[in-house]
Amino acid sequence: MTETSIGKTVPGARLSAASLLEKIGGLDLIIRLFVVAALCLALTFATPKFLTEGNVLNVLRQTALLFLIASGLTLVILTGGIDLSVGANLGLSGCLAALALKATGSVALTFLVAISAGAAGGLANGLLVTAMRVPPFIATYGMLWVLLGLTYWVMGGDSVHGFPPNFRILGSGYVLGIPVPVYLMFVFLAIGGLFLSRTRWGQEVYAIGANPEAARLSGIPVQSRLILVYTLSGAMAGLAALVFLARVNSAEGDIGETLTLPAITAVLIGGTSLFGGIGTVGGTFIGALILTLVINGMNLLSVHTNWQPFVTGVIVIIAVLVDRLSHQK
Amino acid sequence: MADVSLAHRATSRFEIRAPGIWIILAALLLVFATTTPRFLSAANLTNIGLQSSILLLLALPMTLVILTEGLDLSMGALMALVSMIVGLTSAAGYPVPVSIAAGLMVGLAGGILNGLLVAKLDMPPFVATLGTLGMAQGLAVVLTDGQSVVDLADAIPAIFSVAVFGVPLPIWLSVAAYSVTHYILYHTQFGVSIFAIGGNRDAWKLSGGNVDRCLIGVYAFAGVMVGIAGFLFTSRMSAGHPTASLGMEFDAMAAVALGGTSFEKGNGWLFGTVLGVLAIGVLRNGLNLLGFPSSVQVVSVGVLVLIALFIDGLRSKP
Amino acid sequence: MQLNAPPGTPAVPLVSLKGVEKSFPGVKALSDVSIDLYAGEVHMIMGENGAGKSTLMKILCGAYTADAGEFHYKGVPEQMRGPRDARRFGISVIFQEFSLVPHLDVAQNIFLGREPKGRLPGQIDRACLYREAQRYLDMLGCDIGARTQVHKLRVAEQQMVEIAKALSQDARVLVLDEPTSALSDRETEQLFGVIRTLQTEGVAMAYISHRMGEVFELGDRITVLRDGKYIGTKLPFETNPDDIVRMMVGRSVDMSYARNFCETPGETIIEMKNVSAPNGITDINLVVRRGEIVGLSGLVGSGRTEVARTLFGADPISSGEILYGGKPFRGTPTMARDGGIALIPESRKTQGLALIRSVRDNMVVSGLGRMFPKGWFQPSRATAAATSLIERLRVATPSPFRRVGNLSGGNQQKVVIGKWLNAGSQLFIFDEPTRGIDVGAKSEIFALIDGLVKQGNAVLMISSELPEIINVCDRAYVMKDKRVVGELSRGQLTQENVMRLAVHHG
Repeated sequence: MTETSIGKTVPGARLSAASLLEKIGGLDLIIRLFVVAALCLALTFATPKFLTEGNVLNVLRQTALLFLIASGLTLVILTGGIDLSVGANLGLSGCLAALALKATGSVALTFLVAISAGAAGGLANGLLVTAMRVPPFIATYGMLWVLLGLTYWVMGGDSVHGFPPNFRILGSGYVLGIPVPVYLMFVFLAIGGLFLSRTRWGQEVYAIGANPEAARLSGIPVQSRLILVYTLSGAMAGLAALVFLARVNSAEGDIGETLTLPAITAVLIGGTSLFGGIGTVGGTFIGALILTLVINGMNLLSVHTNWQPFVTGVIVIIAVLVDRLSHQK
Repeated sequence: MADVSLAHRATSRFEIRAPGIWIILAALLLVFATTTPRFLSAANLTNIGLQSSILLLLALPMTLVILTEGLDLSMGALMALVSMIVGLTSAAGYPVPVSIAAGLMVGLAGGILNGLLVAKLDMPPFVATLGTLGMAQGLAVVLTDGQSVVDLADAIPAIFSVAVFGVPLPIWLSVAAYSVTHYILYHTQFGVSIFAIGGNRDAWKLSGGNVDRCLIGVYAFAGVMVGIAGFLFTSRMSAGHPTASLGMEFDAMAAVALGGTSFEKGNGWLFGTVLGVLAIGVLRNGLNLLGFPSSVQVVSVGVLVLIALFIDGLRSKP
Repeated sequence: MQLNAPPGTPAVPLVSLKGVEKSFPGVKALSDVSIDLYAGEVHMIMGENGAGKSTLMKILCGAYTADAGEFHYKGVPEQMRGPRDARRFGISVIFQEFSLVPHLDVAQNIFLGREPKGRLPGQIDRACLYREAQRYLDMLGCDIGARTQVHKLRVAEQQMVEIAKALSQDARVLVLDEPTSALSDRETEQLFGVIRTLQTEGVAMAYISHRMGEVFELGDRITVLRDGKYIGTKLPFETNPDDIVRMMVGRSVDMSYARNFCETPGETIIEMKNVSAPNGITDINLVVRRGEIVGLSGLVGSGRTEVARTLFGADPISSGEILYGGKPFRGTPTMARDGGIALIPESRKTQGLALIRSVRDNMVVSGLGRMFPKGWFQPSRATAAATSLIERLRVATPSPFRRVGNLSGGNQQKVVIGKWLNAGSQLFIFDEPTRGIDVGAKSEIFALIDGLVKQGNAVLMISSELPEIINVCDRAYVMKDKRVVGELSRGQLTQENVMRLAVHHG
């Protein structure tokens, strides 16, 4: 015991091995990449429809949409919180943006509306969690229904469709044969990765998730960082709404309803701990890819889409169990 | 000595626990009574009671779940699954009691699954029940490819409107449900364990209490109540419906919050939940009469809960 | 061993512990301690922090098992293997932190988990529950309704409920751990009334106290422990408070650390003027100057941690003012950090460190704003900073990327200190810096603290270990009941002076 307290010289080999593993994101990431590879391999053998250009691009495009929602959510979960309102937030900001686009035809205004509406919803979550000290899962669950109600109110049961082509590029366009959303995904993968690993705010997000009390007593302004993170999650939902609109070319009140559970699932199977402090945006990208592959595989193998919520529900439970077993002793 | 205990009995029985909900309820009644002539008619009041009865069946067990510092997000989805099972068994020609039993079994199974996930696997309740939400919702849709089941036995829709001593059966059922839940919460050791687990889990363990058994019991009870609610819902809709009940847990949660139960420390009040259910029933009915769509109703319920949470927050601060 | 039996008590003690030994890793907590408790006596247990009182009581109630020694019940040797045995012998403890459920009523709490059964399975016989509860409350003569919810009760009343709960479990031996620490004078008198009632009922009570007044008012016998050893047992009329203080102090000093004390302190860095705060501290005045280590002594619960948290901005103040560098300071931990104040909290694991994060991440967390003013975090610079701190503080870790949770206590403490060095702090507030740290590492920590003031920083150090205050501090304040009750200069700093101020005397 006394021995360990005295500074000892450190074996160099262990240091480099540890730092190497640290650099590539740990064993978890490698295991997840294996899962991706195994899924691809299995699907390739199971059906010839998998490894076609159209399907691969389709998988990537769906992964992109899921990732855009899940990336902001990753930040929230990293702080030890949750945002159950991302889907509803996407729905409201999408519908508002669609109305703005129809009314003015201005793409710039549409972007502004979607992202600021999303951010406003997120900000409301952040204020509920910090200023009113409502537990995140309750605050954001309440917000889910309020946003959903507002969406139906705004839309009055109608749908808006038929958007100008210069807007639709965002969801359906191709550059060099690759769908535009995929570029967007990689841009935000980079931005999210940089934010978390290369800015001090990212470091503070990890510190808050790992131990909020210690973070506060280390001088981190915990409340304002939480508000920032919930707002960013909302803004990302708003951005995802734009991609969604541009892809499906219409907006209805219920567009966001089925997206929250998959987004949470993607974050969790991406290795982000529900208990905070552990995880990466890169992991969430892989998580989104795994979930999309599973659902794509089910489609190709003619399993009815109705099974998707059931399968996602099972996967989310498994993901939390894995999280519990690997991170909690 | 007898005088002393009587005096204490008097203070604890007649003290106003959560003044907020009484004020909200009174304000809502006043507003709708003055703005809508039809509101105070006997037919409409009965209607409020009928609508509230299903919600109460969810809100009562939700109170118990929240007292243990948990949450059950799967109620609406599980109810949809129950509704589908009731519908399908009835459409297949089985007698009504079989449909009821099948619905209750499905509810119970879902509740036990929630309980096992929360207690034995130590999962945070909101994710565990979010997972079962997905599963139940998926199964409900898969069964008929999303179609509702309409060819039910005639007795099933009749049950919702049958009156006993002039009062509709669902209202009797909700009175019975309240009595049973009240008995469980305030007159049994199980009830004590619910308060203790939310209020001071360590103290309960130190007294030799079993935490897992209590949690599984609470979620299983919720499952059974969801089963009954699912049957009544099917009866009211005259159909097994795979999606119509989704999200009903939000109203249940809102009713609990309105009724002065807080999400921490096992601080709750069962009768407050009844008042909360009534407030939501009155609000939705009144807005309906005034011609507001259900979307406005949802937003109003949310705003009402925000007000209640705000009051709760003010009260809990020293 | 114990020659003094209280007058007029039965010949055989109700329970006794004989020759008890207990060691924790690296610490001998008790060696050859014996104590008798007679039916109907109030036996005061005294000693400074860490003297072994709590360990002894935990052995008595079965929470710890002794390494050696005997337990006797009514003069007969018996096995004591755990809480179940303790309950069998009627031994109950009233802890300072209550085991009550806030939103159940008094009766339900008294019989928690042991509710009288009704006719139906699982049913509670409520009539019986309230009748029995009221019976115990009446026995104690306190005016609490059995149907009142516990969270509505005052602390003193909650304590009564705990005592009633113990009585309902047929307690014949009651351990009271500083029961009056949170009570008003009137409530204290009520408690004393209850204790006297229990005495007449023949309940034996072991009463841990730091208050000289109540020790002499209430005690039938006074036993003093020091350094885990039995020092002596006195009858109140044959001793006096000065004697007791002399018995309590004089711990063997297990630290060899010696430093050059500060002769000429620099400018005042922080000053508290008549500060009171909602966390309880009242009318605090203190000054810390550059170049000196100022001790903040007093017993556990006297308000030292609250002063530290208030200085750091973690707890708000209600009146008075804090001057930092001559300017009024009233802020948040973030402002304190930016202004150069560091808090090294008492609980490293829950308040000081993110255990799942690496040594590097923990070390740079407070200095992020200073190191990366533009916001761009550079891992290589962070690693370099951490590596140099690891060398400077001699932290034993194989790599800066090792999880902090895997380090020993001393090394974890060094990481917390490193965190604040990296933030450029000038005023370091240490709350129990050597808690849970082995002897070798203690000296290292003190060398670090000494190094800090040599460079012109200032240190405010809270410690429960008197030798640390005496050997390390240039000056010390002593707190009692959330107030500063005295300031001792270097020349006045002796264990006896500190203890006299801390325990209500002189």
